[in-house]
Amino acid sequence: MEELDLLKKAWQKDTHKFEQVSEGEIYKMLHKKSSSIVKWILIISIVEVLFWTAVSVIWNTDEYMRKIHAENTIIYFKVVNFINYAVILWFIYRFYKNYIKISTTASTKQLMYDILKARKTVQYYVWYNLGMAALTLIAGFAIQFLFNPKMELLKDKIAHEQDHILLFKTLGIMLLAIVIFVFIFWVIYLLLYGILLRKLNTNYKELKKIDL
Amino acid sequence: MSDNLEQIFVKQLKDNQNIIHKICRLYTNDEDAHKDLFQEITIQLWKAFPKFRGESKFSTWAYRVALNTAITLYRKSTRNVATTSYEGQKHFLSNDEYNFEEEEQIKLMYQAVQQLNDIEKALVFLYLEDKDYTDISETLGISEVNARVKMNRIKGKLKKILNP
Repeated sequence: MEELDLLKKAWQKDTHKFEQVSEGEIYKMLHKKSSSIVKWILIISIVEVLFWTAVSVIWNTDEYMRKIHAENTIIYFKVVNFINYAVILWFIYRFYKNYIKISTTASTKQLMYDILKARKTVQYYVWYNLGMAALTLIAGFAIQFLFNPKMELLKDKIAHEQDHILLFKTLGIMLLAIVIFVFIFWVIYLLLYGILLRKLNTNYKELKKIDL
Repeated sequence: MSDNLEQIFVKQLKDNQNIIHKICRLYTNDEDAHKDLFQEITIQLWKAFPKFRGESKFSTWAYRVALNTAITLYRKSTRNVATTSYEGQKHFLSNDEYNFEEEEQIKLMYQAVQQLNDIEKALVFLYLEDKDYTDISETLGISEVNARVKMNRIKGKLKKILNP
């Protein structure tokens, strides 16, 4: 292509007249903060991990269970808690490994892949926590229903009804609450990472398309 | 030791800064963004500098980090419309040797290149820098054959932009 080769010839001659940056200015730049997306993903990820870890640690169910005389269930919560901590530690380790692997000296495709992988780990962590939160909610509803004395009236009504409408209503409300809860988080993440990673995702797709 | 390293780096970067300017020019459309990207690339180069072993030329090593920063790490959208408002454009690639017609062609071609997407720009950039397909494929992480095929498609696309 003739025009491109003309451009190449001019390009090679290095006749660009760029305003030159002095050594002093470069020194100053070295001490400025980076605003790369990797840094933002790291910051957001740490906040996410801290938030969800705090939620699962603070969420102390023992006392409440005693209050409503459901002590028998405490042991199950203890087991779940133990597994939960193991999972949290595993995720933190994975995220750390992924993060230190990110290097600007890798090929463009590899770099993008590594960034997306680091983010995915955090995303899985968030989904895991959302899943746990949903399960906790379901268990919470079930325990309330079985042990809370205030539920006696409702249970009595459900036991005596013929068409089970009230039962379905109760289950429906419970499900709706969980769906709304998960949906809100899903939208937040979509916005957060959607904005941050739009460019990277587009470029990664483009690179993958070339290499099909 | 680290002061010494800093000195070496600053000197190298200063001498090779045109490569980075070329990339900034290709991926941004105003002077502020150009400076911003230049700074981000500088920071990323400095962070990666301890890994630079001097096996290749500083410039060759810098391509990769600079392109990666422009395409992948830089947060602000680099997608832009071709614009001539950029002050640098006036002096861009002007040389007394060229006749007026050729200079016009070069300018139009450059504007066409600016309309390409980020990945296509990277391929063209490496092509203009006279890198072979082995280099291009290694830098971008795609196969050599596919780099070649893509480059031919880009040439077709540029032709279409120039002669709609």
